[in-house]
Amino acid sequence: MANIHKKKTLNITLRDIVLLTITGIVMIFMLYPAYWVFYGSFKKSGSLFSSESFGFTFDNYIKLFESGFGNYILNSLFICLLAVSISTVIAVVTAYIFSRKNFRGKKWVMSTVLAGQMFPWIILITPLFIMFASLGLMNSYTGMVFIYIAISIPFSIYLLLGYLQSIPKELDEAATIDGCSTFQVLWKIIYPLIRPGIVATATYSFILCWSDYLFALAFLTKTSVKTIPLGLSQLFGEYGADWGAVMAASAVTTLPVLLLFLPIQSKIASGLASASVKG
Amino acid sequence: MKSKALILLSGFMFVMFVMLAGWTSNLFSADIKLVFRFNDPEAKEMREALDVFEKNNPGIKVELQTIAWGNSRDQFLREIAVGEGPDVVHIAFVWPKDMGNAGGLRPLNDYIKNENIHGGFDTFVATELTTNEKGDIYGIPWTTDTWALVYNKDLMAQAGISKYPTSWPELKNASKMIHEKTGKTGFGFPMGSAKGNTIWFLANYYWWSNGKALVKYDSNGGYKVGITENDIAESIEYFHSYVKDGHSPELMLSISTASDPAIIEALLSGEQGIAMMPPNMLRQLVEDFETRNPGKALPFVTKIFPGGSAGSKTHLGGRTLGINSHSKNPEASWKLVKFLTSEIIFEKFYTKQFPAQKVLLKNITFGPSLKGYAEQLALARSWGAYADSPAQIGSMWNKVGRIFGDAFIGTISSNEAGMDVIKMVEKELK
Amino acid sequence: MMLAPMMAVLISFYLYPTFYNLYNSFTDLSLLGLKKGGAYIGFDNYIRLFQDKAFGRLLWNTFFWLTFVSVSLRLVLGILLALLLNSETLKKFKLTGITRLSLLVPWATPAIVAVIAWRFMLDPREGIVNQILLSTGMVDQPIAFLSKIYTVWPVIIIIIIWNSLPLVTMSYLASLQSIPETLYEAAEIDGANDLQKFFHITLPQLMPTTLVLSLLLVVWTFNNFVYVWLTTAAGPGSYTNVLATEVFIRGFIDFELGYSSAIGMMMAAMMALFGMFYYHYLAKKEFSEII
Repeated sequence: MANIHKKKTLNITLRDIVLLTITGIVMIFMLYPAYWVFYGSFKKSGSLFSSESFGFTFDNYIKLFESGFGNYILNSLFICLLAVSISTVIAVVTAYIFSRKNFRGKKWVMSTVLAGQMFPWIILITPLFIMFASLGLMNSYTGMVFIYIAISIPFSIYLLLGYLQSIPKELDEAATIDGCSTFQVLWKIIYPLIRPGIVATATYSFILCWSDYLFALAFLTKTSVKTIPLGLSQLFGEYGADWGAVMAASAVTTLPVLLLFLPIQSKIASGLASASVKG
Repeated sequence: MKSKALILLSGFMFVMFVMLAGWTSNLFSADIKLVFRFNDPEAKEMREALDVFEKNNPGIKVELQTIAWGNSRDQFLREIAVGEGPDVVHIAFVWPKDMGNAGGLRPLNDYIKNENIHGGFDTFVATELTTNEKGDIYGIPWTTDTWALVYNKDLMAQAGISKYPTSWPELKNASKMIHEKTGKTGFGFPMGSAKGNTIWFLANYYWWSNGKALVKYDSNGGYKVGITENDIAESIEYFHSYVKDGHSPELMLSISTASDPAIIEALLSGEQGIAMMPPNMLRQLVEDFETRNPGKALPFVTKIFPGGSAGSKTHLGGRTLGINSHSKNPEASWKLVKFLTSEIIFEKFYTKQFPAQKVLLKNITFGPSLKGYAEQLALARSWGAYADSPAQIGSMWNKVGRIFGDAFIGTISSNEAGMDVIKMVEKELK
Repeated sequence: MMLAPMMAVLISFYLYPTFYNLYNSFTDLSLLGLKKGGAYIGFDNYIRLFQDKAFGRLLWNTFFWLTFVSVSLRLVLGILLALLLNSETLKKFKLTGITRLSLLVPWATPAIVAVIAWRFMLDPREGIVNQILLSTGMVDQPIAFLSKIYTVWPVIIIIIIWNSLPLVTMSYLASLQSIPETLYEAAEIDGANDLQKFFHITLPQLMPTTLVLSLLLVVWTFNNFVYVWLTTAAGPGSYTNVLATEVFIRGFIDFELGYSSAIGMMMAAMMALFGMFYYHYLAKKEFSEII
């Protein structure tokens, strides 16, 4: 809470102790599960659930990559990065149009965008499967990229709309008077201002695609094109799981996202700020 | 933005180019390309076997695909609806008829007639499961197995039990004694209701051993329900009592597969006395035990399930190989099926499973820890009326699991559960 | 027009499947008979859904436990956590950055990993939660959290909160930081204490964020399938079955695609109604600027 009584000396009050304890508990709550996964990935397989410690080993990771998990990582990276780039571009342009222009049927178009979020995605599988099969898009990067663009666009548009609202329309008008085309306004004026928003949107979309299991399961049956979530679920065989491999794979799944997040986490916070202030 | 767009565009075009190149290269290669979908964990060994096949059959290349068992059925059904899917597919014993009738599997009668596959089709186990009413044969049985009970003989001895249970009350008593005398879990069995639950098997074994069944043939060539709601309620109470009386832990309510670490770890560390599992799980258990306790004597023995008035009965389970009706290379696929069902596969590559051929089964040395399976296999019954009737086994399996689960946690009474099961089966039979 | 690519994507991805499902919800389509299609059966699927004696429990589970409880908790905890992050105490000890960082870890963890980790932590035999409970003497028997009906929903909710609280917290934190100091200064002058400042200034200022977040969270959570499915597979029994898992079970396990589509369409209708109600009574002011 904003507090105007800024204390100059390090005076530890009771309030401080209470808050610090709460902070400690919160941090343990947030970090322990992930820590346990990383810790478990270095334990010898089979000892995960027994109290005896079998020592530190890299075996799980070695086995994982030997069995071709690295391929899944590459597939996921390629598909997700491509999908997110394209969907973010489309979302920026669309959100700009929604926020600045008015046209007939605008309400309808906007509702269509939101409508996609309204029902559970599971029911999309069967019809999309039929569509994909007839178009020859099974086991294709193109098909997956298309799907991931489709599922990340609605929320991206919504987020970007928020950021755009906080940029006064007068700026647009000023630029237009100076002779800029719509495209130039977008590129020269708007884009630099909403960059943190774009970063936040892209990150959110990336996580969405990266962790998708449902669509990958239905459309990727060839081992050479499978993505990480499929690889992870494959470790759970019908007759038990190789828990060491599961932990290693989980760590490998989470790590890239963490690394992606870390450098930009301050930008995300400020990006979300503009969005939520104006709704 | 312009440069970004350009990058994206060129990236996209690159992808399209690669795909085009791959597609055209397919057109020009002379090799026959087969896709074999195999869903067990022995993928590495199976790949070695396929390499041998490719060497013996120049001009045929086989790609190995895997999919989790839980998803394999609906994935394949989707694929056959649009003319896709692998050439040779690894399916469960009870699926060929439905999939064949749905137009997804190629009838194999002509191939079987022309050649005596490994001593003749009738030397295969449970061939009636792959044949529909019109006589179309939709699959070749590949592996077979059944479930048996696994006992920790040390815990049994400590509990003062010298004679292994042959009836259901004796089994409960053994479980109780183990818990009372040693403090460890008695018979810990999964009571959860997830897809692929275990309680379906256990309940059916209980009913069959007492001469009942959910689906039976009736005298007019049709089907009927062969059990009353009281029988079902009684079976629910029987299984529930293990947890209620405390010799099976409550957490069994939230696990559904016999391979759950909660059970396997308990067995490995001597914390549980009795469990149930199929043979490949047992082989894995033995392997894990020997890795952790080198040199120690194996405490596990396998025995058949208890019998009621009709003796011990379990289901004859297994896997079948089928050929996709849309396959562009059925002859090559048939060659692969023949190869996969030959003796060498079970000896060298696919060693954790039992072959579904009577001749090969006779040659297997079961060894002391697997003796229970040898006995149980002789007593196992096929799904019979369940598979022949309009009822879907997969659907009943799931629903029984959930109804039992609801009764176990008390949402419904066991009598209500009994009625629900009966109503459900009646609906399935229509 | 520039909107063309987006519309093309959305129409083929969302509109076509919606009509497909709408059509099929009036048939008895089964996965086994996918090719030949299903026979028209009118409203039978919908009637069957309303007559199902489990329908009440499905609605209760989805609306109350899954959606209402988890969303409210996330909003409340989100505000509290944001206040904590923004507090003078943390700034004093320079802990703001590292606390914020630790929030990112749950957010970045995929749902399946989160479920694996939490299920293990709550395991009666090996899990740390039970070990702590036993050693501090709070209980004398380990608790099988996922097997008891009193604890299973709290577990699912905790996992959902763990995975998505960071997003809520960050949104609130950003809003908090943009509340003008002058408002608080004015209140101080009027003699307001901390609690009054919170209720009369902070909360109202956070209202826009709250409205936006609630809509999003409700829609996401209502349609969510993974958390319940991965944690309990709708069990024990069918105790934690929600609408989305029911759609999955009917469509992908029982192969009754027609019935499953009907449930899906019902869910869409419910969310659409909720959206309209929300817009009219709560958020009209907020969204009217855009539309």
